[in-house]
Amino acid sequence: MDPSIVEKIVREIEGYTPTHDHQHVGRVTAVGDGVVAIDGLSKAVMSEVIVFEEGKGKKLEDSMHQTSTLLGLILNLEEDGVRASILGDTARVTEGMTVKSTGKVLMVPSGEELLGRVVNALGEPIDGKGPFKNPTMMPVERQASGVIDRKHVSVPLQTGIKAIDAMIPIGRGQRELLIGDRSTGKTTIAIDTIINQKNGPEDTRPICIYVAIGQKESKTARIMQQLRDAGALEYTIIVDASASAPATLQYLAPFTGAAIGEYFMDAGKDVLVIYDDLSKQATAYRQLSLLLRRPPGREAYPGDIFYLHSRLLERACRLSEEKGGGSLTALPIIETLEGDISAYIPTNVISITDGQIFLMTDLFNKGVRPAIDVGLSVSRVGGDAQTKAMKSVAGKLKLELAQFRELEAFMQFAQDLDKATAERIASGQRMVEVLKQKNGEPLPFEKQVAILYAATHAFFADVAVKEVTAVEAQFIDYLDGQHAKTLAEIKETGLVSEDSQKSLGRAMEEFKLAHPELFATK
Amino acid sequence: MQNAYAQALWQLIEGGMEPEKAVHAIHTQLEAQGRTELMPRIARAFERLAARERTRSTMTLTIAHKGDEAHARKEALAALEKLNIPALRSLGEEGETHIDASLIGGWRLEGQGHLIDASYKKHLLAIYQAATT
Repeated sequence: MDPSIVEKIVREIEGYTPTHDHQHVGRVTAVGDGVVAIDGLSKAVMSEVIVFEEGKGKKLEDSMHQTSTLLGLILNLEEDGVRASILGDTARVTEGMTVKSTGKVLMVPSGEELLGRVVNALGEPIDGKGPFKNPTMMPVERQASGVIDRKHVSVPLQTGIKAIDAMIPIGRGQRELLIGDRSTGKTTIAIDTIINQKNGPEDTRPICIYVAIGQKESKTARIMQQLRDAGALEYTIIVDASASAPATLQYLAPFTGAAIGEYFMDAGKDVLVIYDDLSKQATAYRQLSLLLRRPPGREAYPGDIFYLHSRLLERACRLSEEKGGGSLTALPIIETLEGDISAYIPTNVISITDGQIFLMTDLFNKGVRPAIDVGLSVSRVGGDAQTKAMKSVAGKLKLELAQFRELEAFMQFAQDLDKATAERIASGQRMVEVLKQKNGEPLPFEKQVAILYAATHAFFADVAVKEVTAVEAQFIDYLDGQHAKTLAEIKETGLVSEDSQKSLGRAMEEFKLAHPELFATK
Repeated sequence: MQNAYAQALWQLIEGGMEPEKAVHAIHTQLEAQGRTELMPRIARAFERLAARERTRSTMTLTIAHKGDEAHARKEALAALEKLNIPALRSLGEEGETHIDASLIGGWRLEGQGHLIDASYKKHLLAIYQAATT
């Protein structure tokens, strides 16, 4: 044996003071479906962590080889015992097993060393890169910051998606819901937002936390790879509670994400947390509540389902300067069925958040991607966080697009349109094309401003609708090469100054002259 | 349903009623409601309840070897004294004793929602964990 190991063991034995541990204990009376009924534990408190004593009757050698402690979480305090959920493998729990009280609420590790890592809902690393060395433990359940500790949302969080940054801007500390049917691009928007943070300055770049709830492991692995390829994993933490994870872990995962994020927020940093998705968390919580024999309410959800989401999303905020000025932005995702946003969980979360981005299957199938329904989407506080540059170019965009959608519907019945209406429709069609964007290609803020400036100044008026996207890409390349200084100025100042406007006007003229063939195909 | 009746029966007996009278009272009540078929189930629920109460009120001292009992009991009582829980102290004196060789040495006192572990196994595991982490 290595002498250093022997030395260490000797040191441990010499320094060891035997104590008689006194603990409050209970006994498992029933177990099933991840939930246990425990007799005893009279001193237990809600959300307390308990330890199942697996080593009783086992030989010392077997106990030494036991790799992990099986924990539980108290969720019901009853007249003659408690009910708890098992945070691990249910098969390890047997009837009559002793359960020890810890007197502690559930904590998860957080800190810089979690960046680039994948953890489960208990904060344990699951990416095979080894344990964390010196993490800070954060409580999973924490009271949200109070009114005095908060500050107005005024700093933008750039998503890199033109349609969002222009019309539904998101501020740091805001809660913006992504809602839509399955396969409408909700996760894509969230991932693009993470990737786009690479375009911002490193010192103000938000730490991103992606919480996968009830997702397929393959999807989470694909997202991790996409983030790694884009160089975004280094400032991202993935919390994974997959579809195969116990319902308790799926219910806990968003709170774990928030707890990890709060560590950075308390340190004065900006954090972006994506909860993908809260409908699955609600389903997991419903399962857990029914197993705990709590009375079912509407759609069999328990009575506190609103509180489940409100207490989670209230933790998103922007802290005052006295509290360090950090922020936690939440992008919860909700999956609807057949576009029904008036269902129970969607209406709950819509009422909690500061706005929603509604994605439509019809638009998605028409090729409008991101398939954002501008009419139903809104950002209640993000307007104050929008930069002046973006405000100046995108001021009336939302209204014009909404009018276009109305005219578009009318157009299907009308044969002869007057000139003004026809022009408005043509302009609307081009604007829709301009706002289209491929996934995984978020656009830096200054380029968005330049493109929207061009679009609102009739730059694409003579371009065939089908060609708008291609012309836009070429124009961006042209600006990058010939007018990089103007783009840099917009990025730096957050304004479109008179000089910048002149420069952009010149760029448009020069580009038109250089490529006349693109503007003659109307 | 049967659990509630068993609980009621338990409380009647705890309250000082003679067991025969308590059972008769429950039976009369059930007969009036036409639910006498519940009686066997109530009996089984009562058995479970009694077993649970027995476990709750028993204090078990576990030792590794039979010869350790006197010394272990003395140490356990001293530990209970230190914790200042009189109800436990009396139970500690009269409690059951189990032999579990996996403890290696020392003792373990468990019952009434309390656990005091002074086994060698627990101490050795603590040293092992401190040395390996």
